[in-house]
Amino acid sequence: MRRIKRHDRSDILIHWFNAACWLALLVTGVGLVANPQLNPAGDAYPGAVRSLFGGGPALLAVHIGLGIVWMAGIVLYVAVNFRGAVFFLKEIFSVSPARDVMWMVKKMALMTVGAKPLVKAGLTPDLPDQGYYNMGQKAFAQASVLGGVVIVATGVVMSLSDMVIPASMVWMVGWSVTLHYLAVGLVFAGLLVHVYMAAISRDERPGFVSMFTGHVPEDYARHHHKLWLDGLTGDSGGHK
Amino acid sequence: MPNKQLAMVIDSSRCIDCKACMAACITANAVPVGCNRNWVKDAEPDLAKGAFRGHFQPGGCMHCDNPTCVAACPTGATFKSPEDGAVVIDRGLCIGCGNCIPACPYGARFRNPAIRKADKCDYCAARREQGLSPACVDTCPTKARVFGDLSDPDSEAARLLAENKGRLVRLVAAATDTKPNMYYLGVTEPRNWPVEPAPPTAMAAMTGLVDPLVKTAVALSGLGVLAMLGRQLFTKPTPPHDGHGHAPGDQTPGSGDADRPDNRS
Ligand code: HEM
Repeated sequence: MRRIKRHDRSDILIHWFNAACWLALLVTGVGLVANPQLNPAGDAYPGAVRSLFGGGPALLAVHIGLGIVWMAGIVLYVAVNFRGAVFFLKEIFSVSPARDVMWMVKKMALMTVGAKPLVKAGLTPDLPDQGYYNMGQKAFAQASVLGGVVIVATGVVMSLSDMVIPASMVWMVGWSVTLHYLAVGLVFAGLLVHVYMAAISRDERPGFVSMFTGHVPEDYARHHHKLWLDGLTGDSGGHK
Repeated sequence: MPNKQLAMVIDSSRCIDCKACMAACITANAVPVGCNRNWVKDAEPDLAKGAFRGHFQPGGCMHCDNPTCVAACPTGATFKSPEDGAVVIDRGLCIGCGNCIPACPYGARFRNPAIRKADKCDYCAARREQGLSPACVDTCPTKARVFGDLSDPDSEAARLLAENKGRLVRLVAAATDTKPNMYYLGVTEPRNWPVEPAPPTAMAAMTGLVDPLVKTAVALSGLGVLAMLGRQLFTKPTPPHDGHGHAPGDQTPGSGDADRPDNRS
């Protein structure tokens, strides 16, 4: 079976680097929120993480340090594989509504309630063809890129607040706290589905493997990303 | 409840408006120019009512039992000390978001321009560590300010409170009782100056809108994952091409079962 190259080595590296940073930033960041009206991981969590890291100020320093490492890694990736980054952004932001909305509705039904309700509703269970990314992947990738921009911008404002932010601009720091929390929360919600689809769902197993090997079997590409494969081979049949 | 409850009991009728408390505080705590951790307010004499004397009222952070400033802090950088009941700020954890400042009905907090973080009275924590009382208390020539632990019945503050039951005044905003730990003996003026705590819109949006939104989104997403997991665990794998993007007539050679070995892994 022919194997199709899907990810460059730098793509694989940045993906796992980003995932590791996200995990570490999430564990430390959620520990920095301590207010009974919020406490997203329970009232005991902030105290526990803080004592693990040697106190709140130490935890804050670690979180900021991780944030800098994360930003630096992404900048480095863009510098090393600029074309890859542009390709990624172009792919995830090209949505063709008719095809993609139907794909999303059908896929969500198939993954949860199955094909029967679709048929009852007068739809076929066949999914519209998808490109390099399907609409679910695009939606999550858009959320993580836009969310990432908000997270980085607000994170920078918060870390600089006691260094350069003048009194007249303190409102920006308050709003940064709120927006940082919002962006992380929404991306995290998407992340639950992402991790399920990527690592647990049996249908997507070759995609998971590709995030290590860089390659997918041709048939997997044809079934899941037909338009991409067609584009690669210049052949609507996709089979050579 | 904290083990101790530090508090200030003030006999404002003794205050002569010398402002030595303010000067001593600035010196003891290196408070930047233009800022104050404490104050002396004054009430104009109301000649129409035959009151020929004004009234002076020393004050500062009231180290409330229901601190609205603490509720406005997202990180717990300001909190009520479990040891002594003082409301304190952990400067290492404060990021200077400013949420707490308008959340205080007394204007007791300010943004310290030197450190760009919230600042306020901490009952002279550094002096207390050396066994001294707060600078304002120490320096007051008329002993208008008395400081002590209310949970210790032998402290002067607790004794004064006990002796003056029934004639104690706590200054609170009209609609919000922050339960201040600053007690005024008998008559004190002015009284209606505390304002309603007004945490900034950013904090109100975070607790009232963003937090429920985020938690709902995560919960729905989690439910979706459980539904998918349930389907994967309790149903047979879907036949190879069920729902996999094939228009009729799009069958290609070799697209039978064999090309999806992964499908039943
Ligand atoms: C343990 C956690 C994770 C696993 C197992 C995982 C797995 C994967 C896999 C296998 C792919 C390739 C899909 C394909 O090309 O067919 C992928 C893509 C991607 N991952 Fe992750 N990932 C994880 C964490 C994250 C995190 C934390 C983020 C960002 C917040 C992230 C963002 C992305 C994006 C944007 C893509 C490309 C779009 C997509 O395929 O959805 N991943 N991930």
